[in-house]
Amino acid sequence: MKTIDEINQKIKNGDAVVVTASEMTEIVAENGPEEAAREVDVVTTGTFGAMCSSGAFLNFGHSDPPIKMARTYINGVELYSGLAAVDAYIGAAQPNKDPEIGLDYGGAHVIEDLIKGEEVELVAEAYGTDCYPLKHVETLITLDKLNQAIMVNPRNCYQNYAVAVNSTDETLYTYMGTLLPNYGNVTYSSAGELSPLINDPHFQTIGFGTRVFLCGTEGYIVGEGTQHSTEVERKHGVPTTSAGTLMLKGDMKKMNPEFLRAATMPNYGPTLYVGVGIPIPILDEDIAASTGISDEEITCKIVDYGVPRRERPVVKETNYKELKSGKIEIEGVEVPTSPLSSLKKARIIAEELKKLIEKSEFLLTSPIYRLPSRGYTLRPLEIRKPSILVRELESKPVIVTRPDENIKDVARKLVENNINHIPVVDEKGVLQGIVTSWDIADAVAKGKTSLRDVMTRRVIIAREDEPVEVVARRIDKYDISGLPIVDSNNKVKGIITAEDISRLVGKKMGRGGESI
Amino acid sequence: MKAWLRFLPSIIGKAIISEAIKRYDIEFNILRAHITPRGGKMLVEISGPEEKESIKFIEEQGIEVNPIIRVVKKDKDKCIDCGACISLCPVKAIKVEEDWTVEIDDQICIGCGFCAKSCPTKSIILFE
Ligand code: SF4
Ligand code: SF4
Repeated sequence: MKTIDEINQKIKNGDAVVVTASEMTEIVAENGPEEAAREVDVVTTGTFGAMCSSGAFLNFGHSDPPIKMARTYINGVELYSGLAAVDAYIGAAQPNKDPEIGLDYGGAHVIEDLIKGEEVELVAEAYGTDCYPLKHVETLITLDKLNQAIMVNPRNCYQNYAVAVNSTDETLYTYMGTLLPNYGNVTYSSAGELSPLINDPHFQTIGFGTRVFLCGTEGYIVGEGTQHSTEVERKHGVPTTSAGTLMLKGDMKKMNPEFLRAATMPNYGPTLYVGVGIPIPILDEDIAASTGISDEEITCKIVDYGVPRRERPVVKETNYKELKSGKIEIEGVEVPTSPLSSLKKARIIAEELKKLIEKSEFLLTSPIYRLPSRGYTLRPLEIRKPSILVRELESKPVIVTRPDENIKDVARKLVENNINHIPVVDEKGVLQGIVTSWDIADAVAKGKTSLRDVMTRRVIIAREDEPVEVVARRIDKYDISGLPIVDSNNKVKGIITAEDISRLVGKKMGRGGESI
Repeated sequence: MKAWLRFLPSIIGKAIISEAIKRYDIEFNILRAHITPRGGKMLVEISGPEEKESIKFIEEQGIEVNPIIRVVKKDKDKCIDCGACISLCPVKAIKVEEDWTVEIDDQICIGCGFCAKSCPTKSIILFE
C-alpha cells in the first residue's frame, strides 16, 4: 500500500501522520486497521528498561610512550581489554573491583558518568612489548577526549518477558528487583503496548539497519540480539514470553543522560536503563493491525523466581492491562505489582520520537534484511559434567536426636561422633529442629536442660533432588556450616556440611558478577 | 503528628505510654522502634483531640519528643519512575500518577525503609 520512500517524502514535506503506539491502539479500535493504515504513516514505540547486556567500545588514543593495555579500569570498574592496544569494552553489569563498592558502582555507572561529561579515572596495566614499552598508565579522561565511544548493546528490547513472583518464605533479590516472600509482590519489566518489538511481532519492518532512537540520539539496529528466539507460544500474534531481541549501536558522544541511567538491582548487580524508541512505518493494513495491539491483548506469564532453576514454574497467565492496574490476584489474594521499566519514560520517548519525525528531523530507513522471524530456538547450556544431586552425595549415617533427649546425652553424642550439628526428629524421623554444639555449650552455660528450649526450629534444609550448587549458594547466603538433607516427606536422610560442599564445588561461590 | 520519642534506659520499664493513652483521648501508633540497653527511640504517630496535652504529659515523664515533618524524601532528579518501590510498600504510601510519575505520600509513610533499600537508583532518603 505505502512504501518507506513515500513515507519519508511525507516526513520531509512535514505532512506525515505520526502517532504513538498507545494512540494507535485507540485509532485501530475505533476505525479498524484498514482505515488506520490509510490515515497513519508512522507509529512510534518506546521503552526505558534495565538492560544488563549493554556496553560500549572505547578508544583511548595512544600515550607517549605507547602502551598495549592488557587490563583496564575506569573508576575501579574493569573493562574487557582483549582487543588492540587502546581499545576496550565496558560492560554495564560489571561490578566494581573494590569489594567495598561492589555492586553500587559498576560499568553502567561509568557509562552514565561519561555521558554526563564527568571526569573519570583510567588505570591501565600492560606487560610491555618492543613497540608498546609502557607498563602502567594512570590518568583522568572525559568522553570528549576519547577518539570513539560506541555503544554496542548485544541484547536489548526483549519482546515481552516473564513476570516475577516469589513463593518461598524468604525475600529474594533478583534482576527482577526485590521479591517479597509468599507471593508478596509481582514485578514486570515490559512496557506492554508501547514496547517496540511487540508492535511488529513478526518483524515485517524491523531489521538490520533500522534507524532508532537510542538514549537521546539516533542509533541503529545491527541485527538480532543474543538469545533471539522466534519459536515460542503466541497469542494475538505476540509472544507470551521473552522472544525476539535486538543488537543496537549508537554514538555515546551524542547521547543525552536523560534517556539513560545507571542502576543497581539490590544484591544482584549494576545494570543500565536504556531508552529506546523504534518507529514503525505503517506500510499496510497488517502492520496497522499489529501496532493496534492493546495491553489487554498482550499475554505474559507470572513465573516463580523462588525456584532457582532454568525452567521456573508458571504460576498463572496475565496481561499488561491487569499488571498496570497496580494489583493482581494470585490464589485468591490481591498482590501489588511494580513495573521495573519506567512507563513514564517509555511514553516520553515515544512522544519525543514522534516530535522528531514531525519536525522532519528523523527519517525512516529500509532494513537491509529483516530480523529473522522463524527458526530460532534457545539452546540451553548443557553442563557436560552433570550437576550432582544432593541424593548422590555420600553422606555418613546420620546421627539424630529427639526433642525430649537430655542435653548432656546430646553433648556426648556430638563429642563421640565428632560432629557439630545434630538434627532433632520425631518418632517417624521427621525433622523438628536442629542443634549445634554451640547451642549446647550455650545451654549448659545458662543451665538449660531441655533440648526443646535450645533447638532451632526454622531449619534451613537441603532437599534430595536439588543440585549441590543450589545448596552451596544457600549455605553461603545464610552463612551456616551445615544443613540436614530431607526427602519429600521431610524425613532426615543425612547431613551436608560446608566442607563437603567446598570439596565438591571446588570454591566458595561468591556473590555478584553473575548476569542473566 | 509524627514524632521520634527518645528515652533513657531507666524509663524503658515504666508504662508511660499506656498511662498517656488511658488519661487522654488520643490515638497512638508505633511506626518503628529501636530499643537497646542504652535507651531507645520510637517513631510514633499521635492524633486526637487531646494530642497536645498527651505530648506534654509524655515530656514531663522524661521522654524527649521530637516532632518530624518528613519521614521520607524522594530525589526527583535521580528517580526514574521505574516503580520498583511501589509494590514493596507495606502501607501503600507509594502511588503512580496518571502519567506514571511515582509519588510517595509522606503522610502515609511509616518509614520502614524498604523502598529506600530496594530503589535501583538510590533515590529515596529516610529521615532518622
Ligand atoms: S524505585 Fe527508586 S527510581 Fe524507581 S520509582 Fe521508586 S524511587 Fe523512583
Ligand atoms: S519507607 Fe516504607 S512505608 Fe515509607 S514509603 Fe517506603 S516502603 Fe512505604
